[in-house]
Amino acid sequence: MHVLILARELDELLELRAVADQIGALEVETLVPKAMTNGEDLASLGLRRAYFLEGFDDISPDGLKKIVIDLVGKVEPSLVLGPSKKVFRELFARVAHNLASPCLTDCTSLEFSGGRLVVERPFLGGGYVERLAVKKLPAFLTIQMTGRRPKIRERNGPEKVELSKPSSEDFSLRRVSVERVERGGADLAKARIVVSVGRGFKRREDLKLAEELAQLLGADLACSRPLASDLGWMPEEKHVGLSGKWISPQLYIAIGISGQVQHMVGVRNSRIIVAVNNDTSAPIHREADYSVPLDLYQFIPALITVLREKGVRAT
Amino acid sequence: MPVLHVFVKQVPDISTLEYDPSTLAPRFEKATPRLGEADLVAFEAAIRIKESWGGEVVVLSAGDGVNELVLREALAMGADRCFYVSDQRLAGADSWVTANVLSRLSRKVGKADLLLCGEASTDSGNHQLGPRLSEALNIPCVTHVVGIELSEGLVRVRRILEDRTETFETGSPLIATASLELASPRLPSLLMIKAASKKPIIKVNLAELGLDEGLLEPLVERLSVRVFKTARRNIVLEGGPLECAEKLVESLVKEGVFKA
Ligand SMILES: Cc1cc2nc3c(=O)[nH]c(=O)nc-3n(C[C@H](O)[C@H](O)[C@H](O)COP(=O)(O)OP(=O)(O)OC[C@H]3O[C@@H](n4cnc5c(N)ncnc54)[C@H](O)[C@@H]3O)c2cc1C
Repeated sequence: MHVLILARELDELLELRAVADQIGALEVETLVPKAMTNGEDLASLGLRRAYFLEGFDDISPDGLKKIVIDLVGKVEPSLVLGPSKKVFRELFARVAHNLASPCLTDCTSLEFSGGRLVVERPFLGGGYVERLAVKKLPAFLTIQMTGRRPKIRERNGPEKVELSKPSSEDFSLRRVSVERVERGGADLAKARIVVSVGRGFKRREDLKLAEELAQLLGADLACSRPLASDLGWMPEEKHVGLSGKWISPQLYIAIGISGQVQHMVGVRNSRIIVAVNNDTSAPIHREADYSVPLDLYQFIPALITVLREKGVRAT
Repeated sequence: MPVLHVFVKQVPDISTLEYDPSTLAPRFEKATPRLGEADLVAFEAAIRIKESWGGEVVVLSAGDGVNELVLREALAMGADRCFYVSDQRLAGADSWVTANVLSRLSRKVGKADLLLCGEASTDSGNHQLGPRLSEALNIPCVTHVVGIELSEGLVRVRRILEDRTETFETGSPLIATASLELASPRLPSLLMIKAASKKPIIKVNLAELGLDEGLLEPLVERLSVRVFKTARRNIVLEGGPLECAEKLVESLVKEGVFKA
């Protein structure tokens, strides 16, 4: 099995390398941004070849598509893996269509079964899992990032190849502006305790309550999709669920979140789920270990008081 | 005046969907059909464009067992015409087949300036229709769009990615996939629902699209679907805020995630 991995960040590459291990890939090549060249990190990943692309984020969608089609033609992989992020889902679907190939997004597991590649992914908003067999190779798969790590091998750096950005981009679609969002704190995927906020918060200022709780517990802050995408109160990368991060902390405290299936799919692997929601019929109560059916504006200050008084800390 | 093609998919209403306790498979046959959430958003965006620029909104759909009543909903919201393909062969359609059928249907209906669909369908959530149509029709595509502005001969779209916001410009045509935040779908008034009953819904036979066998052959096969079950303890804490806080802290100390 020959695998080509596309990634924008080291964490993504590490995780996808682990997936390649799981399915027994014999030969693995990768395409990553040039910024990842300082090969220290890449040397122990057992990669045969690494292609470095300059200006990864600046290249137009059409330009990137063309580069990947050319590279797939050259490398001839059976499987192309990328992280389940918006740019990669779009890119993979386009390249796959161009090559009359299958593409599956948000895959949570893959295995060979009866000589066929079998993939699992969320279905019907995440309340169900579908199992699919791939009928043609190469297949383009975006993988849901959950924090897998590859085995470390002897340092034997990949052969490095630099790809340059297309010199002239004569595509009709022009990217006229880009605004970068500040990265807020550590990666949620690694968090031990997560305090998560939803539309139960009436005003942006009120999030201070959750921030105070998070600080007290050394927890990371996350949110439901509307708080990031609709209201813009939280960075986009902090939203958990079907279209956001999939996390597996020891403790997930959901405050003012209704618990729709698209949200819960991202937090199901949490060890303990605590729900603070004053609507006793909210679905989150059915998927919680501890339900607090109270007004968050009364409960969270009380919780902070108790934690302070007892000097309770996270372990 | 712009011609807008909007692609919609008939999906089961997830909120009322049940599963068979013995097989854990969803009971699709008992589900209420509806239009996908993100499709409705794409559709609302199209109607708003029509309201300020004029033009025409055409609804396109394909699948197995397409229910005209569901498509009527789109017409009631303000679409002008609807074309659909309903064929048993599409029961096992994957993104490849769906894009091949819908791109051919769009071509048959005529030229469009803006082609819109949801960022992902409510059931499969593949995120692939827009990008695949882009290849099939050779039209540029921007996914996850949260804003669309038209000016003479120019379309400007904005999208939010995980770590950045991007704005693109292009002439028409353009394919855009709608993020849920692009617009809030309106509820059609009774008057609009009545008016919609006279609007044309045209069924196109799959054979009329002249698709080669290879374009109708799925590249993935669904083996099974089962409900995801989680076992949680569902302990409800009772009492006032302080009492509940104390109980919770005590439990979490016992669980080993907190220490006193
Ligand atoms: C294709 C698709 C993908 C999606 N992806 C995601 C995703 O990745 N992540 C995600 O989160 N959502 C996602 N959604 C949206 C999801 O369906 C829900 O709409 C969303 O999760 C709701 O967010 P919420 O719980 O914050 O808000 P709401 O559903 O409005 O819930 C707010 C809750 O707060 C409670 N509340 C109100 N006031 C108080 C108070 N004073 N004290 C205590 N509780 C209070 C209410 O009882 C209510 O239950 C997706 C939807 C679709 C269609």
